[in-house]
Amino acid sequence: MLDSDVQIALFAAFGGVAVLAALAAVLTRFLLRSIVAFGAFLTAIAGQFYLLAADFVALIQIFVYVGGVVVLILFALMLSAVGEKHPLAVSEHRGLGAVVAYAVGGWLVWAAFGEDLPEAGEVPGETVAFLGRAFLDQQLVAFEVIGIILLAAVVTALVIVRGERL
Amino acid sequence: MTLVLVFSGLLFAIGTYGVLTRRNAITLLISVEILMNAANLNFVAFSRLWEPELMTGQVFALVGISIAACEAAVGLALILAVFRRFGTTDVGRIDFLRG
Amino acid sequence: MEVNWPDWLGFDWLDLSWLELPWIDTNWFHDYWYGLLLLGFFWGVLVFTMVGALTAVYVYVERKVSARIQGRLGPMETGPHGLLQTLVDVVKLAVKEDVRPAAADALAFRLAPLLVVVPAVMAFVVVPFGVPMVIRDLNVGILYFLAVPSVTGVGLLLAGWASYDNYSFLGGLRASAQFISYEIPRTLSVVTVVMLTGSLSSARLIEAQADTTWFVLLLPLSFVIYVVTTLAEVNRVPFDIPEAESELVAGFHTEYSGFRWSLFFLGEYASLTTASAFAVALFFGGGLGPVLPPVVWFVLKTAVIIFFAVVLRFTLPRFRQDQLMALAWKYFLPLSLVNLLLAGLVMKAVF
Repeated sequence: MLDSDVQIALFAAFGGVAVLAALAAVLTRFLLRSIVAFGAFLTAIAGQFYLLAADFVALIQIFVYVGGVVVLILFALMLSAVGEKHPLAVSEHRGLGAVVAYAVGGWLVWAAFGEDLPEAGEVPGETVAFLGRAFLDQQLVAFEVIGIILLAAVVTALVIVRGERL
Repeated sequence: MTLVLVFSGLLFAIGTYGVLTRRNAITLLISVEILMNAANLNFVAFSRLWEPELMTGQVFALVGISIAACEAAVGLALILAVFRRFGTTDVGRIDFLRG
Repeated sequence: MEVNWPDWLGFDWLDLSWLELPWIDTNWFHDYWYGLLLLGFFWGVLVFTMVGALTAVYVYVERKVSARIQGRLGPMETGPHGLLQTLVDVVKLAVKEDVRPAAADALAFRLAPLLVVVPAVMAFVVVPFGVPMVIRDLNVGILYFLAVPSVTGVGLLLAGWASYDNYSFLGGLRASAQFISYEIPRTLSVVTVVMLTGSLSSARLIEAQADTTWFVLLLPLSFVIYVVTTLAEVNRVPFDIPEAESELVAGFHTEYSGFRWSLFFLGEYASLTTASAFAVALFFGGGLGPVLPPVVWFVLKTAVIIFFAVVLRFTLPRFRQDQLMALAWKYFLPLSLVNLLLAGLVMKAVF
């Protein structure tokens, strides 16, 4: 999968950043901090994608997520946050949430060690060409569905924001 | 490979915790995005295990990213609409049906 | 520890042999991980210095040209013809007191300038300076050039929000609304070039133009869209509404001073420089040209484009915010889609 020690170390480093940033995003009680941590998390994940031989996906991650989604979220924050200097309210079911999260996490990590997986195959160097072929051949349906969903999302968002009040 | 699975499992757990405990709509959205990213990480990793030249996993990671973007757009539009109506983005305080 | 990089990482850019340094055994760097680290550091410092120096030259040229346009002399006191003025200014900015508003969010306030500068400098990595010479020839180079600077939008918004000031806030909102709106037609205009090249690699881009001709001749409309949207994206006149002095004091960086302010300044100029350099690579054949070495051609062509941007700045009035957004969504987006369709049809017919 990861072919050398340096790559494994880099992958683990990105993973560490991702986990820490995700924790910060979920735990902090300041919305702006949460969003900044989310941005760091996304960048670290992009780094992991790159190390897994998915360079195109990594850059799309930065383009769409960091350059798009994070900006959108910041916009929503600015347009909606009124007394943003106060810490946010957190649910009273924190203990229960932690138990469920521990269970899910424990189960997933246990499963990670459980299975015998096949050997990693060689990835073609020109990922873009192969991705393009995949999108217009084998996965054409997925491609078309994305198009429809995007269109629907744009129209929905416009209707919700500009439509009459509830 | 195990390393990848461990990380995505951890991230998924963190996302789950966020979804379960946060009450602000924007942080909820962020938690859901963390969940989707954990899934995408697995898609990309598994892409190398079975027929890497077909790129199925990477294709689905790209689909996932697009859907996440749509979700963010619609979700944030909803948040804005809710904010205009209720003056808050705390999902616990949206009690339109409570008499 | 010996490093065995797989091919797809393409670390052969670490090959320094083209520098032809007789006193360094360049192969040494490849064999050890700290060698690689050292090389990475070397390139980082080199690129940052290059961008800094270019910005200094740029500022000087802009002052002089603006002075000429407005019938003034411009900086004359420090050094011959004021050549050292920029250097002195840099020193002044660096030692100036760094003021931070009490209400500002400390983390975001510090992070924002970095988010503006670093992506702009990082984009330099894939610019093809010579015919084969590019710091790192990624096979998704063009996408890299579009994706990495898009992080700047976050920085602008964060700066506006973190300052806790109405002018900054409005400036930040305007800046990033403008940024993400113009990103779309810009990307679509670059897509036509990618269609012609058949690859996302920036070195391949130059080869493709060596085989045919400058792409500006084949795709004039794409070039126009690219230039206008780029000017909008780096907040240059006539699109500098986010920092319109007469309305918003200084927009998103109103509250910034000293070194942090100069980082914003550096970021703006660095992104304009990279964007111009990439315009040369995309549409004017990069370093292709007779007689002179490729790097010289590249710099000359880039200088012409930058000069054009400077002249524009001092000769055009400013748009209004709603006009600006209307221009992006009602004119440039459809135009770039039509351009994409036309390019595809023509290519289908010709090839």
